[in-house]
Amino acid sequence: MAGFVLRTHHLTKRYGRLTAVDDLTLDVPAGEVFGFLGPNGAGKSTTIRMLLGLARPTAGHASIAGVDAADTARAHRHLAYVPADVALWPRLTGAEILHLLAATGPGTDLGYRDELIGRFELDTSKPARTYSTGNRQKIALVAAFATRAPLLIMDEPTSGLDPLMEREFRTAVREARDRGQTVFLSSHQLAEVEAVCDRVGILRAGRLVEVASVPQLRALHRAEVTVAYTGAAPALDAVPGIDGLADGGDGRLRFALTGPPAPALRALAGAEVTAFTVREPSLEEMFLDYYGAEQGR
Amino acid sequence: MTAATPVVHPAPGRAVTGLATRQVRRGGLIVLGLAAGMPALVTGTYASVMADPAAAASLDAIATNPAIRTLFGTPYALDTAGGFTVWRIGTVLAVIIGVWSALATTRVTRGEEDAGRWDVLLAGRVPPRAALARHLAVIASVPAGAGAAVAAVLWVAGGPDRTGALVHGAGLAALGLFAVAAAGLAAQVFPARAPATGTVIAVLGAGLLIRMAGDGMTGLGWLRWLSPFGLIGLSTPYHHNALLPVLILMAAAGLVAATAVAAAGRRDVGGGLVAVATSRAPRPWGLTGVGAFAVRRAAAPVVAWSAGILAYFLLIGMTAVSVTEFLADNTVFADTAAQAGFAGLHTVTGFTATIFALLAVPVGAFAAVRMAAYAAAETDRRLTLIAAGPLARLRLLGAEAGVTAGGALVLVSVAAAATWAGVAATGGGLPLGDALAGTFNTLPIVALSLGAAVLALGAAPRLTALAGALPATGGFLWKVTADSIGAPDWVVGLSPFAHLAPVPLASADWTATGAMVMIAVALSAVGAVAYRRRDLAG
Repeated sequence: MAGFVLRTHHLTKRYGRLTAVDDLTLDVPAGEVFGFLGPNGAGKSTTIRMLLGLARPTAGHASIAGVDAADTARAHRHLAYVPADVALWPRLTGAEILHLLAATGPGTDLGYRDELIGRFELDTSKPARTYSTGNRQKIALVAAFATRAPLLIMDEPTSGLDPLMEREFRTAVREARDRGQTVFLSSHQLAEVEAVCDRVGILRAGRLVEVASVPQLRALHRAEVTVAYTGAAPALDAVPGIDGLADGGDGRLRFALTGPPAPALRALAGAEVTAFTVREPSLEEMFLDYYGAEQGR
Repeated sequence: MTAATPVVHPAPGRAVTGLATRQVRRGGLIVLGLAAGMPALVTGTYASVMADPAAAASLDAIATNPAIRTLFGTPYALDTAGGFTVWRIGTVLAVIIGVWSALATTRVTRGEEDAGRWDVLLAGRVPPRAALARHLAVIASVPAGAGAAVAAVLWVAGGPDRTGALVHGAGLAALGLFAVAAAGLAAQVFPARAPATGTVIAVLGAGLLIRMAGDGMTGLGWLRWLSPFGLIGLSTPYHHNALLPVLILMAAAGLVAATAVAAAGRRDVGGGLVAVATSRAPRPWGLTGVGAFAVRRAAAPVVAWSAGILAYFLLIGMTAVSVTEFLADNTVFADTAAQAGFAGLHTVTGFTATIFALLAVPVGAFAAVRMAAYAAAETDRRLTLIAAGPLARLRLLGAEAGVTAGGALVLVSVAAAATWAGVAATGGGLPLGDALAGTFNTLPIVALSLGAAVLALGAAPRLTALAGALPATGGFLWKVTADSIGAPDWVVGLSPFAHLAPVPLASADWTATGAMVMIAVALSAVGAVAYRRRDLAG
């Protein structure tokens, strides 16, 4: 399906005086893996609950594949969901729950489901009450990935998975994208987001503060530059974009660079540079950059 | 930087006691309020009711109604406020105290363990035995307090025989303590809350049936020594004031509680003494859709409630002939009843008509409990994955309410069949059609319970069980109390039971039936709209 699979328009949710989600406008095109980031309490889960029609927006509106999210009978034909904290019916076995979810869900590829059960090493003959957090999550993941729904909404789906299963998860996300499915992934595992997401949205205190691809985000953020030189130190004091200049005194300089590097490179051109390294920030560092300011407030 | 000194709580056990208290205090206060309030109302109005000849005559009629005698036990000393109170509301209070004690115990012990919260609790310094003992002690304080409250009220207002007040209070307390102990043991034996609760309620229900059989059938009186309810009946407050049965019940409670605490140290946390299979083949029935799944979840509860109702109404059917024959021979009783406008009560039809009305209480409770289970599935997020499927929210609610209504139909049909079979087995004549008419006549009250539960589910999901219990259980308590104190008609009329015709003795009151059904539909509609509009919990 061309166009946008998921759209929100000034989506807002207030609980009394608390504004959990504030004027969120977001479009996710078909076939994209979208990372939805934010610290605890930023409003990620509330947004997802509104996308699913489980919570009603105070203002604004959300649509799934062009259908109002509140019309769950129609909208949910286009999506599958993995909750953050998976709760299952304790007396049903894993196989019975998968059977039930296939019957009530948007349509399931049973062959692929059986393959996923094997890949996620899931013992489906056990009653759900004996499952660990990770195993409950695997049930929801298998049920969701096995659907052919155009949109997969996942709320911290890997928080209980071990590294091997985490790798299976990334594979399954790529397979979903290759089939043309859209993945809306809320996560705290920034390495995972960095590995699988095409674009990320960053939520802070209910507001969307940034939507960009990971490389675009990098461009907006400070790269750490180390320069080794012989002779006179390059004059970098008044160069725009340079911050936190530190002279080690041993012929090495370190500084943080934000924005286009051209002015810095011009300033360096006059010096005898013997080594030049740029370390790009990880998503984690960018994330901490966004919220570090928050902590100080 | 200064080194922080860790704070070590000197008495971790007290924190556990505090936790248990927080979990039962609201329900406990309601039980204490009922235990003090109901006897206070009945004794407080006793003199004025007896002074009014019409009210006294209608009470006499109630007292001579064999159905009421089977339900409430043999009356003694009805000429004293205390004796009258014991007979009129003693059994009701015993059931309230016993059932609350049992439900509260499995909820705060096995229920909390099921939810994984005891893993955290027992990772602290309090060992499992001490944690269980402290929880049981806290819950036990409620029936003990309720018994003391009843004794205190009767001491003041029950008449000159104050030993009767103490014996009755002690009996009620002992019954509650036994229920706490039995529930505590069941919570150790079974690895999940539902079978533990089911077992202890079955034990209490069997106790009630045994008492009825012992009261109702000559030659079986000794059976009462085997039942908690029989033992408090044997203590006959205001008559023999026998302490031995009460002491036996207290000793049994102590023994069972000690066994429960001992068992708590011998099992895994989260497990029970009974092992459960860790893997099994899938049973795919009832998983093909929302409606089928609602049927699957309701199946076991419907079977369990049916078993209880079957046993009770079979016993009622089997005693109907002998009880009514005995009292029909006694023309004085029959005349009193006829004067009060209750002609025909001493026939099998009249007897069963009175008992059938009572059926609304358990079937209404069934409806409330099922809808509360649905609310719980939402709160603990089991419903989320299904709600994420392509379904309208009202379809989920409709499936649940529809299956619950179907379950209620099964229960009233079982009651009719059981009564018919019981009467037929003892040589009486009660056509099956009459029995069905009598039990189906209670459905409007069940519909009110279901409607109130749906309303609460939409507007205040935490109150679903309470709201659902209000029309049937609350209405029954209201009617019993209002009748006992000779309250004016409009006060009695607030209870739906006041509008129930005695079917099959009389024909159904279609006006009242229609009104109740319409109110039920309105409650459900408002609840459904609210449910559709609100956020789902979780």
